[in-house]
Amino acid sequence: MQRVEPSTPAHPARHLRRAAVAMAARCVTALLGGYALTAIVATLIARLLPISRVEATVWAMVPAFLFYAVVALWCFHEPRTGRVMAWVWGSAIVAGGAVWLLGVRP
Amino acid sequence: MTRSLRQSMAWIHGWLGMLAGWILFAMFLTGTASYFRPEITRWMQPELPMHRTSGAQATQAAVAELARSNGGDQQWFIMLPDDRTAITRVFTIPQPDATAKPAPGKRRKRGGELELDPATGKPIHARETRGGEHFYRFHFQLQLPHPWGRWLAGVCGMFMLAAIVSGVVTHKRIFADFFTLRWNKGQRSWLDTHNVSAVLALPYHAVITYTGLMTLVLMYLPYPIAINYKQPLDFGREAYGLPVDAEASKRPAPLVPIAPLVRDAEARLKAPVSRVVVRHPGDAAATVAISAATVSALNARTGTAVYSGATGALLQSPSNSGAAVSTVGVMLGLHIAQYAAPGLRWVLFLLGLTGAAMVGTGLLLWTAARRRPGATPFFGLRLVERLNIATIAGLPIGMGAFLLANRLIPAAATGRADAEVATMFYAWGAAALLQLLRPARQAWAALFAIGALVFVAIPVANALTTSRGLLASWQAGDWLFVGFDLAMLVTAVLLGAAAWRAGRPQAVRATRRVKEMVHV
Repeated sequence: MQRVEPSTPAHPARHLRRAAVAMAARCVTALLGGYALTAIVATLIARLLPISRVEATVWAMVPAFLFYAVVALWCFHEPRTGRVMAWVWGSAIVAGGAVWLLGVRP
Repeated sequence: MTRSLRQSMAWIHGWLGMLAGWILFAMFLTGTASYFRPEITRWMQPELPMHRTSGAQATQAAVAELARSNGGDQQWFIMLPDDRTAITRVFTIPQPDATAKPAPGKRRKRGGELELDPATGKPIHARETRGGEHFYRFHFQLQLPHPWGRWLAGVCGMFMLAAIVSGVVTHKRIFADFFTLRWNKGQRSWLDTHNVSAVLALPYHAVITYTGLMTLVLMYLPYPIAINYKQPLDFGREAYGLPVDAEASKRPAPLVPIAPLVRDAEARLKAPVSRVVVRHPGDAAATVAISAATVSALNARTGTAVYSGATGALLQSPSNSGAAVSTVGVMLGLHIAQYAAPGLRWVLFLLGLTGAAMVGTGLLLWTAARRRPGATPFFGLRLVERLNIATIAGLPIGMGAFLLANRLIPAAATGRADAEVATMFYAWGAAALLQLLRPARQAWAALFAIGALVFVAIPVANALTTSRGLLASWQAGDWLFVGFDLAMLVTAVLLGAAAWRAGRPQAVRATRRVKEMVHV
């Protein structure tokens, strides 16, 4: 990530290490967190769409990859790493809880 | 602190493209070749004559042969010939061994593949080869064990999709770029080529990437099925009309004649039949599932009619799938393009090449943007440069070597199909290693030149080892063989031109304001 850095960091090595950890967290969140969120949102849509079982299942899949791409790209646009992780993993957990409460369609 | 959307999208576009670029280049090139999968297979079995047999007759002949040789099998899969494929292909699944318990979740072992003469049903004795199937499988399995190749291809497909979205955001001058192509200006020209190939064929790239991901959506995203169905197979039955997996009754009963069933199914499906699956042949509970070809429809998932194998009664009509299932079927159809007539198929082939060009020029840009005049290139830059040479100039050598091996390995040799495939990877690997001996610019030229020689050698080897060389095929009016040899020669000329250009000392070195020209 190219960012405007403070003029001269007091501890360049430590600063660099912290930036690397933040970038790794961002990449993992984009790739795995984005996938988890996509999978859970698609599952939720499939479960909730008020149409026939087979149609709801397939309509949930059709836009999923576009959703994933946009989520993953946003992960690299938002400057604050903490915010990226909170939003992606947080909404995956919330949506996952909803899926867990609803259970398999009867 | 914050950057504009365009800046962050440009940054991620460069990294997405670089990280997945080499695999995407290989996927684009082998996928493009796969538009001609049946034609490549036919060229790779020059012993086979060209003739046409009706689906009903071919099925009847295949079933008679299977009943004679494989009576006790659990299932027969019969892939019928069509305008582009001259043979019947058959897979058999033997009865599961009652004593050996298959591991749960493990796929049932397939029996051998048989190639049959459509007219007589007798096994064909042509040279053993993977044919065009090899490029097709490599395109999405990358020669890795199941399921890792497909997952890796899926990850690269997602990188491509994200790169397309971020690329579109990056290019504010999308229509100006369309008309901008400046030759002989160093990296400026690479950027122009990248933009022109991307913008010109943008709808194609977006569609082929998205539909490519959709072909394996059931594997990549199975969770919507899991939340709605207790058994995944129930989804298959509801969505695609897959036949119910009935148990054998253990009472023997002869199979009814198949040809009338095929003709009845063709009338119901309103399309030529492409696949017949016989379950429990010779049993009173036998079923015959007949599916239509996708040659004339956009939807690649056409219906299936299921008949009783003992009585010939229709058990299950082809179902009308809903809007969502049809949508995914059309996406699949758009990707594999079996609907395309020859003219359109050539257009798609050229569009596929623009995809390879877009990825390739993108990879070159990554290095061009980071090279500093007079400075020693850092390790990462040299690594990317060498991988670029190995992939962009090396893969064509491997693909050509695969086709060349088909003519050079003796037709009767055992294990020759695997040897052909191995030749592709050894040739590619050798090219990737040998180029390290030369400075980058000479390595580009050398590899392109070797590629040109390999592709010239293909029609030569064809003429020397078969009776279907270019002249003979021309006289016989065998346009498939003529077209194939000509395509090889055109490829050789293009690779030769690339070698000539790469080897020329660069007169113009555009180095100013690199950062501004290339989005880093």
